[in-house]
Amino acid sequence: MRASMMITGLATAVPGAANAHASEQGFVLLLPTDIYITAGVASVALTVVLLAFLPGPTAAALFRALPLWSARRARLRHVSSCASALLVLALVAAGLYGSRDPLVNPLPLTVWTVWWIGLVTLQGLIFDHWRWSNPWTGPGVVLSRITGERAPFHYPRWLGHGPGIAGFMAFAAFLMADPAPTDPARLATVVGGYWLFSLGGLALFGPRWLLRAEALTMLMRAYRRMAVIGRTNGRISAGLPGWQVLAAPPVTPGLALFVLLLLGSGSFDGLNETFWWLGVLGLNPLEFPGRSAVVGPNILGLVAANTALVAVFALSIVAGLRIAGSQLALVPAFALFAPSILPIALGYHIAHYLTAALVEGQYVAAALNDPLNTGADLLGIGHVHVTTGFLNTPGPVRAIWLSQAGAVVIGHIIAILLAHALALRAFGSNLRAVLSQAPLAAFMVAYTFFGLWLLASPRGL
Amino acid sequence: MTENSSTKTTTSRRGAIRTLAGAAAGAATMPLWARYTHAQSAEPIRIGFQVHRTGIGAAYGRWYDRTTQAAVELINEGGGINGRPVEIVAEDDGTDPKRGAEVVEKFANQHGCDIGFGTLFSHVVIGSAPRAGELKLPYFVVSEGHHVASGMLNRYTLQPGITDVKSQVQAMAPYVTRNLGKKVTMVFPDFAFGHDHRDFFTEAVKREGGEVLAHIAIPPAETSFTKYFPKIPRETEVLYHVMVGPAVLTFVKELGEFFGPQRPEMFGFIDSLEAVAMDSPGLEYLDGTYFWEGMPRHVQADQSDHDKFYREAVGVDNRGASVSDPTDISTYAHMFGCWETLHVVKEAMETAGYAGPGDRAALVEAVEAMTDMPHSRSHPQGAKVFNGKTHQVFGHQYISRVEDGRLVKVHTTSIEDTFYPDEVDYTKRAL
Repeated sequence: MRASMMITGLATAVPGAANAHASEQGFVLLLPTDIYITAGVASVALTVVLLAFLPGPTAAALFRALPLWSARRARLRHVSSCASALLVLALVAAGLYGSRDPLVNPLPLTVWTVWWIGLVTLQGLIFDHWRWSNPWTGPGVVLSRITGERAPFHYPRWLGHGPGIAGFMAFAAFLMADPAPTDPARLATVVGGYWLFSLGGLALFGPRWLLRAEALTMLMRAYRRMAVIGRTNGRISAGLPGWQVLAAPPVTPGLALFVLLLLGSGSFDGLNETFWWLGVLGLNPLEFPGRSAVVGPNILGLVAANTALVAVFALSIVAGLRIAGSQLALVPAFALFAPSILPIALGYHIAHYLTAALVEGQYVAAALNDPLNTGADLLGIGHVHVTTGFLNTPGPVRAIWLSQAGAVVIGHIIAILLAHALALRAFGSNLRAVLSQAPLAAFMVAYTFFGLWLLASPRGL
Repeated sequence: MTENSSTKTTTSRRGAIRTLAGAAAGAATMPLWARYTHAQSAEPIRIGFQVHRTGIGAAYGRWYDRTTQAAVELINEGGGINGRPVEIVAEDDGTDPKRGAEVVEKFANQHGCDIGFGTLFSHVVIGSAPRAGELKLPYFVVSEGHHVASGMLNRYTLQPGITDVKSQVQAMAPYVTRNLGKKVTMVFPDFAFGHDHRDFFTEAVKREGGEVLAHIAIPPAETSFTKYFPKIPRETEVLYHVMVGPAVLTFVKELGEFFGPQRPEMFGFIDSLEAVAMDSPGLEYLDGTYFWEGMPRHVQADQSDHDKFYREAVGVDNRGASVSDPTDISTYAHMFGCWETLHVVKEAMETAGYAGPGDRAALVEAVEAMTDMPHSRSHPQGAKVFNGKTHQVFGHQYISRVEDGRLVKVHTTSIEDTFYPDEVDYTKRAL
């Protein structure tokens, strides 16, 4: 019943992180968030209880996909990838030579709003567009055609997913700790440099480079497991988000760790704005001294948050294995259950960026309407006055908050269902599955509380 | 383009065209530039706009940008400055003092800006101004802070478009003590912003024969206030409040729960509720209370033609909201400062015959020589007096009463009410 309230909230998407003005959070503080949080946590806990009593295969049955049509070979994907690469280069040029204003320059708008908020969410919710939109595979093919050579080196096996994991942490640190990640010229250097570096890696080590050393491809390939639409047995199919986690082959320990870092970093990218965190740093939340004053603490916090998450997750797994009397070792069990964290990470991503999407999406619309700032009106929407009025009006603020909470709660419910289905597959009996994932389920219920508390907390940025 | 930059002369456009566009796009803009061909040089005056695009100042930054764009559009339509078009070079400072100093440096060394302009948040001004002084870049801040007139900055930092907090606060004392009560209790956040109010107002109330019964300093991270209210002395006639931050609405709600209808008179600064609609649910309790306003947000019965013109140019309706979204309330009490500052810059550059960075010192001297600024389109907030020694402008302040969710002006201070003895003479410092 409470869950349906959350779901209703989801339909009315509206929300702001980067542009958060004190007053938005002001209206949030007036909401009965205690009641909402209790309802959200109860919904997740109830799912756990229900699974204990429902017939074993219920969860797995929920994730059965519906085949739609036969998949065709994606012939044009190298062409679209080349187009994507050209776009990256054009955006880098715009970053270097265009407007200095991060909400006018198309580079930061594309990277942080269109790609990081929009396209990552699209990848996780709907379908794997990265197959077409990544800016490396096409140029990689072109390079090998021109040179007539394949990659000269083998990707060193011992590196595993290490470079990709390190790359993702560097990305997270840039996002959360760099003083000016939206500065057009700075971002252009980073984006251009990284694009070249990864293209070089691809040229030297072949496609395995993208799968193990290129963090963005790893991120996108992880999130595609959450998409409603996917391929299975040569057919395009659709199912409940998470069905591809069950349909896909198990992940390696390196990828499992990567998935945990998605959630750990995503969680810190919310925690770092709260009065609580600013209090830990001894800062006045009403007079935030600016990002350059918290570079070190935010890097430390990012590392600490991820370490804590991985440790707690591993402990939950160990405890579950003990309770269920399983002989399974920690590492394979860790890898087995880690993908069940994906829906939580995606839910956090959506919740955290909903407001920013609504505000900065307007700047994107304005930029598309008038890309060269010449007063053009390409979309016929006229002069765009960006508004944040909905963040200062109680009704929309409530709708936004409930949408965010809905994303968090639904993410956790799906995670519980997935973990249960994975456990059942590994341990056979429903009882053992329930026992084995009891600590993990407790962790997820607690994490629901944490996520909703984050949304309700006063923020200083 | 916050507002999709309607301004026809921005670096973004020029840069983007140079980089990305073909001849067609360039040709399309020709008529706009053709206007300036009569001038000796069509090279634009470049104004480095240090804008809080991200960080805690972003909501203010958006309206500062919108006002700035409108002012520049108007100035350019009128032939620019000395016949040259004005170009805004906007750089985000992240509301971050360290980046602020870097931005100032970019204005001077990379973007070839003639001046720096537009900084609002005090800590960013204080972080940036020393660099502007070293680089001898005239730096026009729009921050309200007392740091300019206090003497802590330098010859190149000026605040000619907005009054400072010291003059605002002290000018409230005569009205408050004569009309609302002489026994005042102050509730303020326990950091520099609140301390300024505490110090300036307490002193001013004493001069008026009143008394501050209690200072109630609230820790900045506090989100519930009920436990502080019993500290308000019973004989309090006026409660002076200047809470800011996300818990302001909770403060008002809990104030209502504590006092009910038997409340003292209340006086606050609109800073608490800038960009928030006064008729928002939960703010009904403020009905009948008083606020300082830098410029009346709601259109008044005696609205001047200048206010009308200014509202239309920026795109603000009669309630202080964006014309394109009635829920998008502007930062009306502050943003006029951008408009007025740019008009001061225009006048001073024309007086100084400003031709380029070599005339920066002459520009500073031209501003210092300014005194009376009459109520006009250039100064829609009201007449002002500039003090060349302290680099600070002084002007009328407004007190409004909340009536059915509307801010109704009940008092306009004289400019003299805002004066205080000079604390510095910047003109004696080297140029």
